[in-house]
Parts: sequence; structure tokens; C-alpha cells
Amino acid sequence: MELAQQLVNGLTLGSLYALIAVGYTVVYGIIQLINFAHGEIFMVGAFGALSTALLFFRSYVDGGEMLPFWALPVLIVGAVAASVAIAVLMERIAYRPLRNAPRLAPLITAIGISVFLQEAVRLLYGKIPSFPDAKQKVPFPQIEVVSGPAFNLGGVTLQRSTIFTVGALVICAAGLFYFVSRTKTGRAMQAVSQDPDTARLMGINVDRIIVVAFVIGATLAAVAGIAQGLQVTNINFKMGFLAGLKAFTAAVLGGIGNVWGAVIGGLTLGLVEALAVQFIPGTFGGSPWKDVWAFALLILVLVFRPQGLLGAKVVDRA
Amino acid sequence: MTVTDPTPSGHVIGDRVVLEAEHVTMRFGGLTAVGDVSMKVHDGEIVGLIGPNGAGKTTFFNCLTGMYVPTEGRVTLGGEQLPPKPLKVVRAGMARTFQNIRLFGNMTALENVMVGRYCRTSSMALTSILRGPKFRREEEATRLRAQELLDYVGLGKSTEILARNLPYGDQRRLEIARALATDPQILLLDEPTAGMNPKETEETMHLIFKIRDSGLAVVVIEHDMRFIFNLCDRVLCLVRGEVLVEGSPGEVQSDPRVIEAYIGGDDTDEDEEESA
Amino acid sequence: MSTVTHSPDTTDTELSRLDRLREQHGDRAAILAVAGGALLLVSGLLSWSYDNRILDDVSVRFYPLGIQLYAMLLGIVALALGVLLFRRPQWLNPGRGLRAVGWGSVVFALAGIIAVAYQAGGLINVNEGGWVGLAGAVLVLAGGLLSPHVDLDVRTWPRLPSWAEILVIVVMLGLLLFATAYTLNVDDPATFGCLLITLLAVAIGLVGSGFGEYLGFIGQNNRRPLLLAAFLVAFLFPFTQDGSDANMSIATQILIFAATALGLNIVVGLAGLLDLGYIAFLGTGAYVGAMLSKSAFATIGWNPPFLVVMLLGMLVASIFGLIIGSPTLRVSGDYLAIVTLGFGEIFRLAMFNLDGNNGPDLTNGPNGIPGIPDLNFFGFDFGQTHTVAGIPLGRFSNYYFLLLLLIAFVILVFTRLNDSRIGRGWVAIREDERAAEAMGVNVFGLKLLAFAVGASLAGLAGTIKAHQDTSVTPDQYIFLESAFLLAAVVLGGMGTVAGVLVGATVLKLLPEKARIVNDYRLLIFGLLLVVMMRFRPEGLVASKRRQLEFHEDDEELAEIVQSEHLEEAK
Repeated sequence: MELAQQLVNGLTLGSLYALIAVGYTVVYGIIQLINFAHGEIFMVGAFGALSTALLFFRSYVDGGEMLPFWALPVLIVGAVAASVAIAVLMERIAYRPLRNAPRLAPLITAIGISVFLQEAVRLLYGKIPSFPDAKQKVPFPQIEVVSGPAFNLGGVTLQRSTIFTVGALVICAAGLFYFVSRTKTGRAMQAVSQDPDTARLMGINVDRIIVVAFVIGATLAAVAGIAQGLQVTNINFKMGFLAGLKAFTAAVLGGIGNVWGAVIGGLTLGLVEALAVQFIPGTFGGSPWKDVWAFALLILVLVFRPQGLLGAKVVDRA
Repeated sequence: MTVTDPTPSGHVIGDRVVLEAEHVTMRFGGLTAVGDVSMKVHDGEIVGLIGPNGAGKTTFFNCLTGMYVPTEGRVTLGGEQLPPKPLKVVRAGMARTFQNIRLFGNMTALENVMVGRYCRTSSMALTSILRGPKFRREEEATRLRAQELLDYVGLGKSTEILARNLPYGDQRRLEIARALATDPQILLLDEPTAGMNPKETEETMHLIFKIRDSGLAVVVIEHDMRFIFNLCDRVLCLVRGEVLVEGSPGEVQSDPRVIEAYIGGDDTDEDEEESA
Repeated sequence: MSTVTHSPDTTDTELSRLDRLREQHGDRAAILAVAGGALLLVSGLLSWSYDNRILDDVSVRFYPLGIQLYAMLLGIVALALGVLLFRRPQWLNPGRGLRAVGWGSVVFALAGIIAVAYQAGGLINVNEGGWVGLAGAVLVLAGGLLSPHVDLDVRTWPRLPSWAEILVIVVMLGLLLFATAYTLNVDDPATFGCLLITLLAVAIGLVGSGFGEYLGFIGQNNRRPLLLAAFLVAFLFPFTQDGSDANMSIATQILIFAATALGLNIVVGLAGLLDLGYIAFLGTGAYVGAMLSKSAFATIGWNPPFLVVMLLGMLVASIFGLIIGSPTLRVSGDYLAIVTLGFGEIFRLAMFNLDGNNGPDLTNGPNGIPGIPDLNFFGFDFGQTHTVAGIPLGRFSNYYFLLLLLIAFVILVFTRLNDSRIGRGWVAIREDERAAEAMGVNVFGLKLLAFAVGASLAGLAGTIKAHQDTSVTPDQYIFLESAFLLAAVVLGGMGTVAGVLVGATVLKLLPEKARIVNDYRLLIFGLLLVVMMRFRPEGLVASKRRQLEFHEDDEELAEIVQSEHLEEAK
């Protein structure tokens, strides 16, 4: 029973990581850039959803009621819009000019963007009229059907938000699969990731493909932001850092650059964390150490199998 | 292809085998880039490696210098087997240059050569901080030796220019000076005249003779046939990773198989870039 | 990478028109600049406001204070540049300097006027001084914009006798000390802002006109005197503070930050290995210092002398450095950065968790180790105020002197390693790892050494930091602090000492002094990183190597550097 419960917890956590990890992996696959600020895109998505709720469903929020189920798509649109807008701006203003710069430059830029976005939300969100102050945790609106009392399946607690998160991952993964393998843009994306120069010669607009990669990542991160809000019932400006780092771990674990690797890596990492809490005995077990185990896993994977679970041999890009 | 004077007169090839490669084979997955190549290089000998693009010449160099671990075969230098570690290969006395110039672009010409002295000097962190007389002596000696080598290759006036700002031909010569700084017994040159004009090529040839005359053995990869046949004592022609012909320049250039390989040799398009 | 050219930011056609205009108006530009400078000078003697309660009282005529003084300073600089413009020297470009000073003066005058108007309630309260100043500023700017373009010929730099060059250095450093001490004691925010604008305008003006390069050249000729003078100035700084600990506290923080950043500079700037968890080494040293102190919360009951603690701090940190560096055998580039980040987070989490409930009790968990006593060297108590030559020196001054020794040591280690076989090996690895290995450089060993040396320097700084802060907690060692350290290195200029010192000072000083900015400092910091990477990736102070890099066409510079080396060799 304990094991089943931890498996469910791990699956929830893992789906969340997987949704974010896809963003790292699609961008890396195309321009070999670790978009360190991707965790912040996830955070912005959550705040985008919150803002949408405050703008269109104010009476429910103020009354402390749950939003009607049809609010969910509206919130998703709001979250995706916010994330995508920030991601595209980020690519255009900060990353694109650095495309031929030494590799240190975009990484430092990414750290800068990350700090900037966190602080912008912390300081400026509350300055928008009638919006709550975001210097501390902000309650996230709950939605009928996807929030509410948990199900009990023979002793295993199954939160509704879990079903939402896992469901979102399944739908997003299916959509992504269709996009990458069946659409023209998706195939162009594959071409660019294999050989950008040749792809350019074949008439593919590489800049546009890179933007598309950022958009895909941002979309999935925005959905993850809502999932996180529903699970934890509150959000804060710092939520992107740790989640981003874990998701990056997941992407590496699966083999960075490989979309399915990101999904599998995310699920694996979630399960490892959940099981570590349960099964590492003694004083080094339990939730205080679970992040340590996750980071240790990250380091071990980077050192001993940098190509990840699914990846091909990675060329040294020092 | 006409060659005027196959071997320049007045020098003697020694009996001692400096470098010996035995049955070196390198496979990448299913692809055999170098297949069962054997080669001997004697004291004071200049050996040329020719072959169409993708013949595995650079890969063979990488196997010799320990940058790749050959799938099969062994490499001995002065009778001792070389471990496939670039560091140990250099210490043992084999130095190389690169086909696509790999200088330390943001270091000056002098510093580049001084880096070459690294493996022949010994100051460590603590001595460097304390700056005792031994450190000063060694540093001074390194600087002098580096300057000497720059003069030797004809770059004595470009000491303080950043390597990346040097003209192309000078960069190639700087690479040679940097390699010589490691005090090698044998020098491997990977297309030392690529991109040079005839005058620079001529100068490079004289430089290589000068190096040979100072007692080193030299192995050269080159596409410029006139250059190779004028320069080398012996030539190996590699095709698809295997030795097709080996012999004196005269023998090799008159061998119909070599001509065949070059004329009909466009069926190999394997990328010979060193993948770093 | 862009090359630096002397052309201003105009398009080609505009440029030629402007150039023609400038040629025609050469002397007129100089006249405008001199007139503007004179007006600025006069404006300092006039009243800026009716209200004597604001901006530290700028209402009195012929008794300049605060921004009146700054206006006079700008006026003097503009006058000097204007006079130089008449003489058209080959080695200076007064026009560019005037442009910078002109823009700065306009911003300054407007800021002053706005500040007066805002605080006193309306433009009506701005007195004649403000308007005269603005007029002067506009004239200076006009002079700057009209002044002819000069192609600098650095070979015509005047060569002074060496005593005179040393005198120039000492005077410049003395001015720097005075400016620093003065700036730190300005408390009125608006006045402080105007002062910053003034200093920035003067600094950019001097650099823009080519004077900065000349100073750098003199500095290169006289490295030893420069270093000595710099340390003398730094040593004298506490004596300008009149026993006040407020600024000394900031100064000690800057020194610790700078020492750590210099350690990081070995790893990042020289060896080219990106370390995103570097703050952990400072933390290691601090925890070693705390655990071995006489604090009631120290978890190890052993109190060796502080010298031993320092050595242990270095040792433990360098061992951690070796552990963190060991993956470099297999990973590099971005992956290495992430590995170090992971180690940094593990360190923080471990310090947070090791409270006895989760694992052994080493660090006292989230509460950290408080109550660390002050250092005591042979009876010299760092907690006491000592009086030297009639000037009281408080607790922070004591630590300041110790930290000055520390940073001298760190600089020594950095510069000597940089200029040695080891340093060349590091730079070679940074440039091309595979080629370095093929040339016989022991790549793995040198990378480990970089991590170990860098870490031990940070560890050393940490042991002192523990005592100076009197407490150590895990939340001082978060990722953001590592990012800050990296920013200090990048902002100042990778691979340089001066740059990192400047970077560390800017990053620590600004938020402390400009309280209005304080809440927004991280926001600005993030933005700064992005903008820096976009427009000046080599940092504020580019190393000679990088300078060459960015002046590819500048053969003269290469020649000068070459001749310097020849002289050194003699």
C-alpha cells in the first residue's frame, strides 16, 4: 500500500517534471543552449493563470469559491499566452544576439533573465491594480472537477490534481508527437536539430524554427504551472528555480535533446524522489534529503552517462 | 606531375627506427577508418602520407598521437610502446600540428610556444607563488627557448602578436614552433602548406628540411603532390583506410594504382574532419 | 565580438556631414566648451534653491556645497578639455571626452533641477544657479558634439620621467581615496545620486578622451609603485572614517566578496571552467571557522588557534574543490556548470539538514551557528576599538586590516600563478582543451588544481567571515550568491584583478548606499547581466589579452605591448 501510494506520488511529481523538461530539451536539441531561465517560464505561466482568474472570475476568487470547470480552458489560454510571450521576447532580445558568442555568454544571460523575471514578479505583480502582492505565497484559484476531495482507491489516495497533471502530460505528449512527426514545421524542426546549416540551405527559416521551439517549451511549462498551482494550492515567485533545476535533471536523465527522453526522465526522477523518501533508511532518508538525492542523481548521470537514458553519445561541446 | 629531384642530396637516413606503427586499425561502429596500417619511420627520414579525402590520414595521426585509442594494433616510439594518452605521447617525444589550425588564439605567439614547453618544465603551484631562484631560471630558460624557436621558424618579430591575428601562413609556422617546443624526436605535420601560396610553400619545405637536418624524423600529410614528392624520402598512399602503395616518391608517383585512386577516388566521401 | 572603432554612433552619410561640420567648427567647438565649462563653474557659486533645508543646503551664494561643488567639478573638467581642444593633441581626443562630460552635465543639471523642484514644491523654487548650470551643460555638450574627430596616435603619449609618472599614480590614487571617502559620507539620496552622475561623467569623460588608456599605460610601466600606492591608499581608508563603523562594515563585506570573487576568477577567468556553486567554498570555510570557534553553539569541542583554523578552512575547502572538480575529467562546458550548481545546492541543503534530526548534528540546521566570538591575536582583541594617532578604529576597521592582508595574499597568488607555467597551461585549456592536451599540458591535473586553489582561497576568506559576521547560517550560501560572484567576475572583466575588484565594489556598494535602489537591486542586477553580455562581454576592465582581442586592427598597441616586454626583459 505504501509502495502504491509512493508510486502515485512519484508519477504526479514526474509528470510535472516531464512537462517542464520538454522545454529544456526542444531548445537544446536545436541550438545547444541550456535555457536556464526556463523554470521562470513555468513560474510566469502559473502567474498568468492566476491573473486570468483575477481578471475574468473575480467574484469566485473573492468569494473563495471554486471556479466553474469551463474556466479551466480559459486559464490555460491565459497561462500559455503569458509564458509564450515572455519566452519569445526572451529569445528575441536576449538569446538571439548571442547566437555566435562564446558559450559562457548565453549561460550568464540566462542567469540574468532568471533573476530578472523572479524579481519582476516579486516586485511588480502587486503593483498592478487589484492584484495581490506576490512577495510571499499567493493562493491559486481552485477549479471544479479538477480540484476537490480526493479519491480513495483501496487505501491509495488519488488527488484530482494528480489526474489533471498526468492527463495533461498524456495529451501534451500526444500533441507533440503529432506535431513533430506529422506537420511540416515539426519535420523542419527535426531537420534543423540535425544540421542547421544544411537546413538553412534547404530553405528552412531557422530563426522561425528556434522561436517555435521556445513556444512549444513555454506552452508545456504553462500547463505545468497550472498543474503545480492546483496541486499545492498556492504559487510563489521562487517556484521556478527548484522546479526548473529538477526538470533540467530530468531532461539530462532522459538524454537532452530527445523529447521522449524528457518525458521518461521526468517520470523516472519523480519516482526516484518519491521512493527515496520512502525507502532510504535512517536519518538520511525522508523529505529533507530528497532534493539532495535528486541532485546527486543529476551529478551521477552527467558524469557517468551524459547521453542520458535514451540519448545517443553526446559530442563534447566544450 | 613532374618531379625534379626526388631526394635532396647530402643527408643520410639513419638505421634506427624512431616510430613504428604495427597493424593499426580504427573502427567507428561499423566503419573502418583505418585498417591494418603499418609504418616505420627512421632517424632523419621524411615520410609522406598521401591519399584522397577520407582516406583516413588524419585518423591515423590521431591514433599515433593517442587522441584516439586504436581498435587494434600498437605504436612504438624508440622501441617503447606508447600508451594511447596524448600527454604521455608528447612526453615520449612525438609532437604534431593540426589540419585545421588549433592555436591558442588569444595567447601571443610567444606564449603559444611557451605552452609547448609545459611538458619539459616542472614548476608547480607553490614554486610559482614563491618565485624562488629555480623558478626564475626555468621561466627565463622557457622564454629564451620559445623566442629561439620563433626565430627558427621565422616568426622572431611576431613574438607579441596574438596568434589569431597572425597571417594564415604564419599560424601554420607557429604551430610547428609550438610542436618543436616539446623537444620531440618525431614531428607529425598535418597538411602544413594548406592554404599557402607557392612562395610560402617553398619556405615551409626548407623549414622542414632544416628540422630534419637537426636530427628529427618527420611525417607529413599533404595533398600538394609536387610538395610531397620533392620533400619526402618515402611516401605511403592511403586509400579507404588501407595502405595502397608504399615506396620512394618516384615509385609512388608512377604507380598506376595511385593515379587511379586519385582520379577515380571520388567514391569516398567519409568526413575526415577530426571530430573533437 | 565587435571591434572598437573610433566612429561615433551615426550612419555613414550622416557621419560625413557631421565630420565636415566638425572640421569647420573645430575652434568654435572649443570656444563653446570653454564657455560652457565657465558657466558650470559659475553656477557652483550661485544659489540653486530658495529652500536651505534640501540637498544639504545649496541656497547660499559664493559658498558652494553639495551639488554646487559637483557642478564646479564638471565645469573644471569641461574647461580643461576645452582648452585641450584648442591645442589638438595627437594622443588625446578631448572631443569624445567633452561629449561624455556634456551628456553627464546635462543629466546632472536636470537631475539637480528636478530634485530641487520636487522637494521644494515646484520649478519656481529653482534659483538661478540651476539654470546657469543647465545652460553651461548644454554648451559643453554642443562643444562636444561639434568637436572634430581625432585619430588617436598612442605612440605620441608623452613620456614623463619615472618619478613624475609615479607622482601621477599617487595623485590619482589619492583623489580616488578622497572621492571614495567623500562619496561614502554623503547621506542625502538626491545629492548622492547627483554625485554618482558627476563621478560617472568625469570617469567616462577621462576614459573617452583617451586619458584612461594613458593612465593604464603609466600603470603598466610602474606596476610595483602602483600596487604599493594602492595598498597604502586602502590602508589609509579607515583613518578617513573618524571611528565610524558604518562604512567600514560595508568595506569589509566588499573585501570578503572581492577575495572570493578573485578565487572564482582563477577557475572561470583563467582556466575557463564555469563554476555555479562557488559560494559553497566560502561556506565551507565559514562553517569550519564557526565549528572550531568558542561559540556556545559550536558542534565540535575543539578550539585550535586561528592560524590553524585558517589552514584547516583552506584544506577542507580545497578537498571539496577537488571533489567538485573531479567530474571535469568527464564533463565540460555547460554540463560542468550544472554539476557545480548541483554540488552547491547539495552543500546548502546538507548544512540546512545536519541538525541532529536528519543526520549527525554538525551545523545546527537552519538556525546556523550564532555567537561566534571576535578574533584575538596575541591579546589584540578585534572586538575593541583601538586608537591610533588620535583616530579611533572600531571593530570593523580591525577586520578590515586583516582582510586587506588576505586580499593582498589572494592577489599575490592570482597574479603569480597567472604569470607562470601553470597560468599558461590554464589559459591554453581555456582556449582549446584538446590542443592543449596534444601539446603535453596536463589538462585534468591543471583543472583540478584550479578548483583546489580557487576553493582554498574562498575557504580562507570564509574562516574570517565567520568571525566578522559572528554567525553562520545556511541561507547565506544560496545559488544567488554564486551568481553574484560570477557577476562580479564577468562585470569587472574576466581574468583581471582590477576588474574583479571594481566589479565586487560596484555590486556590494551600490545596494548599500542607494537605499531607494535596494529593493530593486536584484532586478537591476539581472538586467545588468543580460545587458553586459550583449554589449560588453569582456567586462568593464578588459585584461591586456582581451584588450588586444578587441583591438584586432590596432597594430600600434601590439607594438607598444611588445616594446614593453622587451624593456621588462632587460
